[in-house]
Amino acid sequence: MSAWQDVVTAALIGTERTGFPRPSVAGLPAPADAPDIPFPDYPVRDSPVREDPAALLLDGAALQTVARRGGRLPERAEPLPVAEADPAPAVGRAPARRLDRLLTGEHPDLLAEWLAAAVARGRRAPAALLPALLDRVRRVSTSDPELRRLAAEAGGCRARWLAGLNPDWKFVTAGSPAGEDAWRRGNAGQRRAYLSALRARDPGAGRDLVAASWDAAGPAERVVFVKAMASGLSLADEPQLEMALDDPNAWVRKMAAEVLAGLPGSALGRRMAERARGCLRLHQGMRGTRLVIIPPAQCDAAMRRDGITPGLVAASSHPGGQTYRVVEVLARTPLAAWTEGFGRPAGQILAIPSGSWAPVLLDGWSRAAIAQRDQNWMTALISRVLTDEPAGTPHWAETLRQLARQVDPGLGAPGIAVGRDGLSAPVQDAIRVLRFRYDMLKELDDDDSAG
Amino acid sequence: MSVPPARVSPVAERWERERVLALAPDAPSQRVAQALAAARAWASTGAAQASTGQASTGQASTGQASTGQAGTAGPGVLWGECRGSAAAPYRAVVDLSGPAYRCSCPSRKFPCKHVLALLLLWAEGAVRDDPAGPPEWAASWLAARTGGAQAREPGLPKDPKTAARRAEQREARVASGLAELDRWLCDQVRQGLAASQQAGYGHWDDMAARMVDAQAPGVAERLRALATVPHSGAGWDGRLLEEYAMLRLLAAAYRNRAGLPPPLLETVRSRIGFSLRQADVLANGQPVRDHWQVLARRDIEQDRIRTRRTWLRGRKTGRPALVLSFAAAGLPLDESLRVGTDADADLVFYPGAVPLRAVVQDTRDSARGDPPEGGTITGLLAGYASALAGDPWLDTWPAVLDVTPTRSPAAAVFDADGDALPLHPGAGGSWPLFALSGGHPVTVAGEWTPRGLWPLTAWDEAGRVFGLVPL
Repeated sequence: MSAWQDVVTAALIGTERTGFPRPSVAGLPAPADAPDIPFPDYPVRDSPVREDPAALLLDGAALQTVARRGGRLPERAEPLPVAEADPAPAVGRAPARRLDRLLTGEHPDLLAEWLAAAVARGRRAPAALLPALLDRVRRVSTSDPELRRLAAEAGGCRARWLAGLNPDWKFVTAGSPAGEDAWRRGNAGQRRAYLSALRARDPGAGRDLVAASWDAAGPAERVVFVKAMASGLSLADEPQLEMALDDPNAWVRKMAAEVLAGLPGSALGRRMAERARGCLRLHQGMRGTRLVIIPPAQCDAAMRRDGITPGLVAASSHPGGQTYRVVEVLARTPLAAWTEGFGRPAGQILAIPSGSWAPVLLDGWSRAAIAQRDQNWMTALISRVLTDEPAGTPHWAETLRQLARQVDPGLGAPGIAVGRDGLSAPVQDAIRVLRFRYDMLKELDDDDSAG
Repeated sequence: MSVPPARVSPVAERWERERVLALAPDAPSQRVAQALAAARAWASTGAAQASTGQASTGQASTGQASTGQAGTAGPGVLWGECRGSAAAPYRAVVDLSGPAYRCSCPSRKFPCKHVLALLLLWAEGAVRDDPAGPPEWAASWLAARTGGAQAREPGLPKDPKTAARRAEQREARVASGLAELDRWLCDQVRQGLAASQQAGYGHWDDMAARMVDAQAPGVAERLRALATVPHSGAGWDGRLLEEYAMLRLLAAAYRNRAGLPPPLLETVRSRIGFSLRQADVLANGQPVRDHWQVLARRDIEQDRIRTRRTWLRGRKTGRPALVLSFAAAGLPLDESLRVGTDADADLVFYPGAVPLRAVVQDTRDSARGDPPEGGTITGLLAGYASALAGDPWLDTWPAVLDVTPTRSPAAAVFDADGDALPLHPGAGGSWPLFALSGGHPVTVAGEWTPRGLWPLTAWDEAGRVFGLVPL
């Protein structure tokens, strides 16, 4: 060891500046004493002189290098604590491969659904994929505590064990056992985690906590509060959210309107339905039934209170503003207003001609169906798109993708979502998402029944 | 020449989609191919049983192609016509036994997106078997391909006199190149290695270029790799000295080549970069038949060349083997040896003091294999030591160990005897290995190097195999 270090030091300084030790290995002749090597076809004048200290040092170093490599002895190490055995079994081969695909770039936005589905079936993610899973979740989830929670749950004991080894993954253990301390003394992320956990466990307690903390909270935290109420939402939450509609901060108001629009039976929904019925009428004409659209003339104060911002084009009398207002109203209107108001199921309503307004209506209804998690409407919308492919608004591709992500995955079964010639890219994309979700859940189901 | 024995394709079953995607030259190709892998993009597709090359003239065989032989289940040939931007459809053919592919599209990627998409479709079960066999345009390519393969085989030696003169010239050039290297190495040590930390890549690249001119590419490659050593953390000076010392030893050994035993001379020559032709290796070597476990593999890219190292071990002989394959950057590497499988194959070893590198002569069968038997750390070190006695330049040695990973004090593995070895600092924390183990012993295969163990494959308690490095 030290003999080698002496040689290295001499080489570092240079043999022209320092003396050097004669490296040797016990039991072997020193290189200088080794028999002279003949130089049959080697131009002698070019070769380093055998007594050259640099050459001697290198020869000795070679000897030591091989001796050190060959004579290396095992070291000692301390074992780690052993991970607890997980009561939940890992998923089988096919779901594991699917998770690998999700983690290596395919449909990254479906990761949460895979995790939730695995957890719901009492399965966990395979151990070998946990580092990739935790790295991904850490990168993307600062604004998505739900994904962290799902990853921690799907990762099970093994993920908690890994989190003890790698500080990057602390969030796995940080989220779960946080008590009231996290709420009183924690940072913004810990407070959010505490609130969403409480809300998931006991929506009423979560609501009370929000109500008690509302006055002291700043706008950023109020947005967090309102967002947290979106899960486990019920009519009991309405007074708190209606109050938030009058908040001085625009983001708080907007978020509250968004949450209320997803609450069946809300007063906001009734107000929207009122506006929407003024916009959209059934007209029985000579050539059958049509939908007639009368866009709201302007964005009045009551509409703004309910979350319809004037937007960039909306303030003008530009037709884009009319379109925008119709979409915004439709997107917040309870879908029952149409099925009950027109006395027809969703599929039939979608088939009523509406001329050039069709793409606008499709967009508005789709957004409403997504916000209200209305499976009937989502299914009807997707089925219509797959059979008839109507044109959409500029935001249509994103809306369609959201639909495909949230609609009953049974629509992705082979034979239902069938690609045809000439489908547009957004529709093909939606079909791919549906197929992927169907296959993904089917694998987990098959896995479940087999295991 | 008589008809060559029919080679039973090791890829009789339908491939998994990962295996298809692994063939893609790059990530964009994967994405485009997945988009193209939809039945509507294809005017026609078909698959046929593994046709024994010489009979595939297409139009003659109207009935079932070779269903007689047992074990040849599944198609061996795929074809399809893909609607592209051009008026005529692109025609893609795949011979799964290679695999080898061809497509009429103008893409320079290889395999192109059409071939990949066709394989993906087939992997999903969307390509039907066509009892009529391949259409004329596909059959003619297949026939030409098998014909070409036969024609390539013998490789007649050129004029022996010219060949001898060339060889002599090369030896002289290598000798003077290595003399120059020797002087350069001594200069480094005379002036001190401290200066190397400020030196740029050019310091080594210039010398490497001289070694290329001197027809010693193996030395050139080693020199180029040295440029990163001064920035490799504590102990860089010792590592650089080791490399310089071993290079001078190589120069000295070549200078003394007349006195070396023939196997050691082969080792020296191969490290300098005298390459043997695979045909000569096959012709002169003794095939070793065994059930070769495919333990691990690692891909390395240097100077726009990708090298795949695949480590094997014979179940009967216990012998380690290393199969190398090369491809230009952006082109796919050989996929025929899959980690976790056993290949019943004949291997022919390259000559050398420690014959490790081998070429697969013939594969009879390939199937999912049981996990290998892991060894102890003392066993690994003893094996490496005796290999070093034969080939002192050996710095990558296959390891198969039953060990538990730990991180105290540093990332390491220890075995049932309590012996421990460090993990290679370049192995990125080896987190998948830790995740898999959970503090319990696992069987690990990898590469043992002077800087530590580079884990590449692990088997969990259920015997499932996991690759630990992304490929």
